[in-house]
Amino acid sequence: NLSLFPPVRPPKKTSPKKPPTKQQAAMAEEQMEEASSSAAASGTPFQLQFDKPIPFQIKLAEWNPEKDLLAMVTDDSKVLLHRFNWQRLWTISPGKCITSICWSPDGKIVALGTEDGFVLLHDVENGKMLRSIKSHDVAIICLNWAEDEPLSRTDKEDLLSYEDRTTRFFPPAPVMPRIGGLNSGDTGLADENEEAIQAFSSASCQRFNILCTGDKDGCICFSIFGIFPIGKININKVPIHVQSSGKRTSYRLQDVSISKQVSLSRNLHQLVLLCSGKLINTDNLSLSNDLSVGVHCLHLDTSIFSNRKNELHQVSQQASSIQDLVEVVRASISMMSKQWSNAMNLFHEKFSALPSLLTAHGMESSSEDEFMSLLFGTHTSPALHQFLVSSLGEAGLKRIAKTIESAGRELRIVVSEHLQPAVEIISFRLAELRGLARWRSRFQNIGLDEKLMDGVTERVGMLVVQVERFSRVAATVLYLFQNFLSWVLKCVKILLSEPTDQVPSTNSELVVIFLKFLLDKDPIKQLLETDQIFEWDIDTAKHVEHLVVFGGFTDTKFLERSLAKQFSELEESLKEAFLMPFTTVSSQIHCQGLLPLYPVTSSDALSSTSTPASIAFYKDKDSQHNASSYSSTDYICFKIPDGSLNLRNFVAVIKDFCNSCSTSNTPSLSGFLLHIPVEYECVDLSLYKDNQVVLLLSGKSSSENAGRSWMVMLQTENLSFSQFSRTFPANYYNLQELEALELQLDTDYGKVRSVPHPLSTPLAVSASRGVACI
Amino acid sequence: SAPMVRMNTLVYATCFADAASSSELSLAYVKLIEQLAVFKGYSAAFCALKLAEEKFPSSTNSQIHLLKMQLLHERALHRGHLRIAQQICDEFGVLSSSVSGVDIELKTEASLRRARTLLAAKQFSQAAAVANSLFTTCYKYNMQVENASVLLLLAEIHRKSDNAVLGLPYALASQSFCKSFNLDLLEASATLTLAELWLALGSNHAKRALSLVYQSLPMILGHGGLELRARSQIVLAKCHLTDPEFSVSEDPCAVLDPLNQAAEDLQVLEYHEMAAEVYYLKAMTYNHLGKEYEREEAAARFKEHVTALENPRDEEDSLVY
Repeated sequence: NLSLFPPVRPPKKTSPKKPPTKQQAAMAEEQMEEASSSAAASGTPFQLQFDKPIPFQIKLAEWNPEKDLLAMVTDDSKVLLHRFNWQRLWTISPGKCITSICWSPDGKIVALGTEDGFVLLHDVENGKMLRSIKSHDVAIICLNWAEDEPLSRTDKEDLLSYEDRTTRFFPPAPVMPRIGGLNSGDTGLADENEEAIQAFSSASCQRFNILCTGDKDGCICFSIFGIFPIGKININKVPIHVQSSGKRTSYRLQDVSISKQVSLSRNLHQLVLLCSGKLINTDNLSLSNDLSVGVHCLHLDTSIFSNRKNELHQVSQQASSIQDLVEVVRASISMMSKQWSNAMNLFHEKFSALPSLLTAHGMESSSEDEFMSLLFGTHTSPALHQFLVSSLGEAGLKRIAKTIESAGRELRIVVSEHLQPAVEIISFRLAELRGLARWRSRFQNIGLDEKLMDGVTERVGMLVVQVERFSRVAATVLYLFQNFLSWVLKCVKILLSEPTDQVPSTNSELVVIFLKFLLDKDPIKQLLETDQIFEWDIDTAKHVEHLVVFGGFTDTKFLERSLAKQFSELEESLKEAFLMPFTTVSSQIHCQGLLPLYPVTSSDALSSTSTPASIAFYKDKDSQHNASSYSSTDYICFKIPDGSLNLRNFVAVIKDFCNSCSTSNTPSLSGFLLHIPVEYECVDLSLYKDNQVVLLLSGKSSSENAGRSWMVMLQTENLSFSQFSRTFPANYYNLQELEALELQLDTDYGKVRSVPHPLSTPLAVSASRGVACI
Repeated sequence: SAPMVRMNTLVYATCFADAASSSELSLAYVKLIEQLAVFKGYSAAFCALKLAEEKFPSSTNSQIHLLKMQLLHERALHRGHLRIAQQICDEFGVLSSSVSGVDIELKTEASLRRARTLLAAKQFSQAAAVANSLFTTCYKYNMQVENASVLLLLAEIHRKSDNAVLGLPYALASQSFCKSFNLDLLEASATLTLAELWLALGSNHAKRALSLVYQSLPMILGHGGLELRARSQIVLAKCHLTDPEFSVSEDPCAVLDPLNQAAEDLQVLEYHEMAAEVYYLKAMTYNHLGKEYEREEAAARFKEHVTALENPRDEEDSLVY
């Protein structure tokens, strides 16, 4: 792996041993190159590449799977991205407490889980936030983003491949409208993000991947591409069936808290997770005792993801871009309504002076009558004269005209560049989805429902009509306003006996229409607000009913709804339609097996989440010849907390848990315990490529080794795994059955290097780069 | 995208009804009725057609009249009323001007329909001759869409005349034509024909045919009309039934589901020939499964459709709507 690094290396930076600065702990970061080749093995096993003092305590660290980038989360929840040579690329502070971090499989997105249940997706290029999704109610403890292995593709799947035709028929999807001009203060974020979101939507749909997130209360959520939620499972409610001596017993876990590790295998077939909780026998509640509170390892069957991955991929690809576009529509509507109400406020503010003037002059008539009499030249009342000449004035009138004109221009731009194309692409994509939904044998079992999709397609059709109507209404209203205002301007000029040749000619009929229909009402506003009922003349209503025979929308009342109302209805039905796959897929995730690992007393149950543990899947060596259906073996490696199971300073490694759950006849579950020398304690551990375990050992402060630490890599194949039984429930915890090995720091079944500092978490290893960061 | 065609036509018909010229509006109605005929069956389409004729009484000679004849022809073909179909074809021929090079679209449509009528009458060589001459005309006038559909028709003619090997090149040519001109639905139906041709070559090609059907299904189900959908379902079922590795008793749903769906669609369409095929396949499947009651039922329906096809009793009924 030496070749991975540039041949000419920058001179090694030696960190000056300066005393900790004003920060509590200046954490020395060291980068280690793991010398796994035999050539390097003759020298020091782990070469120090670079180290760097950092003025924060690092809480989490994770290597990018593709590039030499290291993302770190500090204790005060800043996120730093460093290159391999410690060049810092960006720092962001999301303003929330970050509890977990992981990279997307292609290394382009970093996902952060926050304490309040949000998943934040950030762009690797510049750290901008692409999405923020609230999928949990409590802190997200772990994230795991797994991609479908390209090797597992077969010929059959290639033929089932599906082309997204949208790009061939439509220009690139519209983005959120930005507010131009003066009032752009509050949408600066959306403004910056739009390009990134665009890139994200197109790039993220390349290969099928699933992000799973586990929270403190035992919920696990799955989302495709990290954005389209596809399943949720609550461990507290999952029945666990265990076959023991031919008898089937059901268990349930209570008060579950997922520990740091959840891992989805690379063929998306199985999920292994560690969680702490109380195991109860649902058949016989009295059997539970104190011991049943402990850390358990669960195996969930997620084969729905691998078996139906083509279907899920297609659906989520369409659905996630539909959701994007729905956001665009929402933003467009809210922006239009804001723009228009600003303009209207000004108009009404100015023109509201007239009625009060009229009452002040003791006149009974309304402002409409007054304008009418002005138009027909009967007389100009003093009140109106005063209003036009002094309170409104030529300048005020021009200002109103300008504001309304610019608002109208904005409206037109938003409709033509954002709203209309977005709605059109939504309808196209929905039509594609409906086609898929008709293929019942393939898509019904992931919950794509034809009826619901039909309903959504109808709704979006109505929305298209509404958008068209809106643009017509808006155009008419704007023209009427323009006409009216220039007429008023003309009147003002006449009253002031100024020349009127500069004023464009006006149509007095349209002024009448304006006075009749627009002076007090605002149809644009009506269309943009959800609770308004829009009046539509009888002719059109009849016409719409007539169209039903020709295959029009059966809901003939739809023109009474406002645009915004129609949009919210579309949203409702979209939600319903996409909830179907969500619930269907969720119901097909089952628990396959359970392995109690070690008991914890309830007092330190909380701290158990921070016990180092690592889960990884390795491809079976003997199944390489059959690339299409290889199997993988899971390795679970964890530290047993001191005192639990009467063991002290032990690390356990277990393999083949999944296979032992699914095939009960071949008990292949095996593992070993590793006893760490008493003067050290295991700080962190991680599984590394090719079945290795990397341990970080730190000298205990009481011993003479304080301040010295070790980094150890063990080849697990060189260690003897012993099988152990899963007899249940006679003795919950069987780990003691395992053979205990002494770890000797000088033996050569692994590679050892001493580090002259005290160490703390986290340890981040990168299998693709062959580097570790401590 | 068929749903988008409908939606945009509706937008036009709803929003611009007051402003549009009558010919444009009638075109919108024609489009809507075409959609109805393809997706909802003839009875709905003719019902709407009547209304449209009331609405546009003046334009008897224009699009609406043409549409009426198209619909009548399709329905006659489906019902097996070949004499009527022939009659309408002749009317089509009369509609266009006799000067060569004028009204090309109308002429191509007329001869396309003639070829299809001949095909339905099982006069394969004549049908092929008409189609071939039509292809030369289309080629001459650069009518790409027609080119592709004529090629597809030729493939179909060869398939129906049990000359699957001869049909293959036509289907492939049509497919590549469609690909280069972005004619997705036509391409999907060409792929479907290709699958049918492979299937006709023997059971060892069933796998290949199945994968072809899978390829075309999303497109056909999303945007294809009732007939195309039913056809694809039948081919799907046939692929399973011909596949020597497939056993009906293990997975009866894989065959019966598509067949049921096809039967539903064809019922609306009054397409006797294909409906007979569906019920035949259904009866065979039930026979394998040992479900005698269902088998008898399917067989009875099969018989119904075959008699309807062979004894077109109420032919003049086809001109009434």
